[in-house]
Amino acid sequence: MEYDVVVGLEIHLELKTATKMFSSSPYAFKDPANSDTGEIDLAHPGTLPCVNKEAVRKAIEACTALNLTIDPLIRFDRKNYYYSDLPKGYQITQQFHPIGRNGYIEIFVDGKYKKIRINRIHMEEDTAKQFHLFDETLIDYNRAGVPLLELVSEPDMASGEEAALYLEKLRQTLNYLEVSDVKMEEGSMRCDVNVSIKAKGSEVFGTKVEIKNLNSINNVKNAIDYEAHRQQKCLENGEAIIQETRRFDEKSQTTVSMRKKEGSVDYKYFPEPNIFPIRLSEDFIADIQKNMPELPDAKFKRYVNDFGLSDYDADLIIANKNLCAYFDEIMQEKVNAKLTANLLSSELSGILSKNNLSFADNPISAHHFAALVKMIDKGEVSSKQGKEILNEMLKGEDPESIAKEKGMKQLSDESAILAIVTSVLDDNPQSISDFKNGKDRALGYLVGQVMKRSKGQANPKLANELVTKELAKR
Amino acid sequence: MKIQDYLNTDYAQKCREAYNKAKAIQDKTNATITFIDPQKRLNDKLEGRLKGVAIALKDNVSTRDIKTTAASRILDNYIPQYDAHIVDLLNKEGAVIIGKSNMDELAMGGTNLTSYFGLCHNPYDLSRISGGSSGGSAVLVAANVVPCAIGSDTGDSVRKPASYCGVVGVKPSYGRISRYGIIPYASSLDHVGYFTTNVKDAALMLEVLSGRDDRDMTSSYNPVENYSELLNADIQDKKILIFDNVLAAINNSEIVDLFNSLVTALTDKGAIIEHVSFNDDLLRAMLPAYYIIANAEATANHSNLDGILFGHREEGESTDDIMINTRTKGFGPWIKKRFVVGSYALFEENQERLFRKAQKIRRLIVEEVLSKLKDADILLAPAAPGAAPLIAGQTTDELSDESLIADNHMVIANFGGLPSMTVPMGYIDNLPIGVNLTANPFKEQVMFDVALAIEEYTGLGGAVKEVL
Repeated sequence: MEYDVVVGLEIHLELKTATKMFSSSPYAFKDPANSDTGEIDLAHPGTLPCVNKEAVRKAIEACTALNLTIDPLIRFDRKNYYYSDLPKGYQITQQFHPIGRNGYIEIFVDGKYKKIRINRIHMEEDTAKQFHLFDETLIDYNRAGVPLLELVSEPDMASGEEAALYLEKLRQTLNYLEVSDVKMEEGSMRCDVNVSIKAKGSEVFGTKVEIKNLNSINNVKNAIDYEAHRQQKCLENGEAIIQETRRFDEKSQTTVSMRKKEGSVDYKYFPEPNIFPIRLSEDFIADIQKNMPELPDAKFKRYVNDFGLSDYDADLIIANKNLCAYFDEIMQEKVNAKLTANLLSSELSGILSKNNLSFADNPISAHHFAALVKMIDKGEVSSKQGKEILNEMLKGEDPESIAKEKGMKQLSDESAILAIVTSVLDDNPQSISDFKNGKDRALGYLVGQVMKRSKGQANPKLANELVTKELAKR
Repeated sequence: MKIQDYLNTDYAQKCREAYNKAKAIQDKTNATITFIDPQKRLNDKLEGRLKGVAIALKDNVSTRDIKTTAASRILDNYIPQYDAHIVDLLNKEGAVIIGKSNMDELAMGGTNLTSYFGLCHNPYDLSRISGGSSGGSAVLVAANVVPCAIGSDTGDSVRKPASYCGVVGVKPSYGRISRYGIIPYASSLDHVGYFTTNVKDAALMLEVLSGRDDRDMTSSYNPVENYSELLNADIQDKKILIFDNVLAAINNSEIVDLFNSLVTALTDKGAIIEHVSFNDDLLRAMLPAYYIIANAEATANHSNLDGILFGHREEGESTDDIMINTRTKGFGPWIKKRFVVGSYALFEENQERLFRKAQKIRRLIVEEVLSKLKDADILLAPAAPGAAPLIAGQTTDELSDESLIADNHMVIANFGGLPSMTVPMGYIDNLPIGVNLTANPFKEQVMFDVALAIEEYTGLGGAVKEVL
């Protein structure tokens, strides 16, 4: 029997804001434990929440980028439960009125685009981090109150691969927006997975299993594939699938049962009385949307349609946010895009890695790089020379002076090259007759001689043209 | 005692007297939980509108480095790391805090009988209750210890003890005074309030305590008026609504007579008197609705009291055990009962029937009172159907109109966030009884003006009762 795999993801993103969701305490992942806390984060009696405007801004950006409809009336609710990582005994979240509803993103799978729908995005606050030792529990409250976005997808993914593509796409988009650090390994992006399988083409969904503890996109993919396989084997063995929460065991690359679901917890949600509903003006929202950075999808279209880059080159540049910003800066000088893309992908990355530099440390200014592209494009230097110049440019010098210093300026003066061509032809009558007798190779030889006599400085394109033209005259 | 008595005098001497007197009456009244020796503060150079004025705070007002218990065992060792917004304001204006006053546990009560530190006695008759939940603050003002004490008012927790103790009790508009640092009861109903012995001081205190605080998102941007300077007892053409349902529900005819005489006096002063009647069924639903909303919010508000981060802790095998043990032993039985009620109302299967229905009733009542006040200035009624009850207790029919309406009508002002205050109306058998004024949101000035006219009529401005 064949099965369809049904996957939905619930993602938590830490928002990249200077302060927490409802307090003015700072937060950074690397800060010492319990240093980013104040009376509000620790839920000391009498404290009150105050909504972080920057977090609302970022939520609006995320909703816009992911095509959700924004609710301009911001409302918060309390989710009540007792746990030692939850100082207030309730979490302030948006249960009844999420800031965004009904969006989607597109992933490229099996040669075509597929829409993955996003049911909702809401704002909430993070809990503290717990460390369970043998007989003790340590709690770090730095994370308590950090702004979170929760994104709930529709069950639109049909494989681990699709889930991975969806996550990758989200990560790229939100990284470009600077909404979040989106680092799964640091927990700024967390993913819970729901997996079920059903008979191929069936309308009836199977029993859902939730998988937690996934700290990389690759693990998400592997966990889903394993779990779908496990469920299929269960069904084939005539066993029922139990609704439960499982965790991914990285070592064995399998999923392990954590707890059975026994009825859902009643969180007794009710509207947060300390925060009146906040009406966002149309201008406030429009202003945020207008000033949003260009998103990867738009960049891709622009690179391919306006600059004529290949899909591959466009993807390659967009995959690295810093590289992409650099490319955009270079293109401000209206240089040859394809040539730029080529130089960036094939030459610069090699030179940087050879010198143990990451792209962030790239010492070459966009202006100098653009100048080099122009020189190559105009034929003032050969691409081989261009590479050599690029190497030298690491020291911060501009390409013009390097070329001059090295005597690398390509000879593009037609009369000077013509003089060399004439002398080469005069000296090689045999080659001329070979050429006339149909031996095309002779042309290459003659151009080579011209290049040799010019000490490699002749513009090869021009040399080729002139040799051909002069040969015809003889 | 008036605030004026402190200004331009040897305030240090007076503050020490206040502190000593608070201690001296403690055996008889049990009004204070923590005494604060004023000497350290008196060494500072004090300036401001309350320069050197001794003040008491209800023990749910957070005070940095000073124990703040909210009269609950679960906080009996809790020392805040920060000052409430109003403490900042009081300090800025030169006030001297001499004590933290007794209250019902977590401000959840109207008698002050539920305090972990024991009940509080009424200065007029020590065998009677002070009322609550801000009982200790009412007593400290009534017993001539301090000219002003801070309280909080979620149902009538300032205005009822003010009536029982014969002092002025004010609960301004919701959002007028920041709640930051006040240990909550029910956030949507909680107000900071205070007691004074006279209306002028009440007006001055609001000037000091009011204003926008960015730490309380519900605090108002409305400008603070110069209430005490603008205070004017001329009530010519002021429209006063007489709350007939309350009068009809009071069985004690002496109170009704006292009230009617007052109304006649106000008519004589040129006020326009009009009688209004609310839908009785709506009023009978008022207390149950209040009880549901207040306790639902309270059960969440107090979920932070779990022994993990601060306060009293009972050890356990796991963090879950610590929380369970701490909460089991930390709260009084009446608190647990309220948590059960609040949680029950919030259960998914009950929310529509209880919590949301209570919200609807709340909205209907607010709509009704606002529509009545639309063309009027004040809604007037006796603050309570009787004087302070005996501590020994007396049986009351909790479902009677006297209990549901006459004894609890002041909740309306909490539902709607309306400014409301109680001033002494007179005495019955030497026990004080107050009259309650409620005004439109942010119309505190006219409330003070009418209150001043009442005070001029009763002559009870500055009235106190020495205990010693």
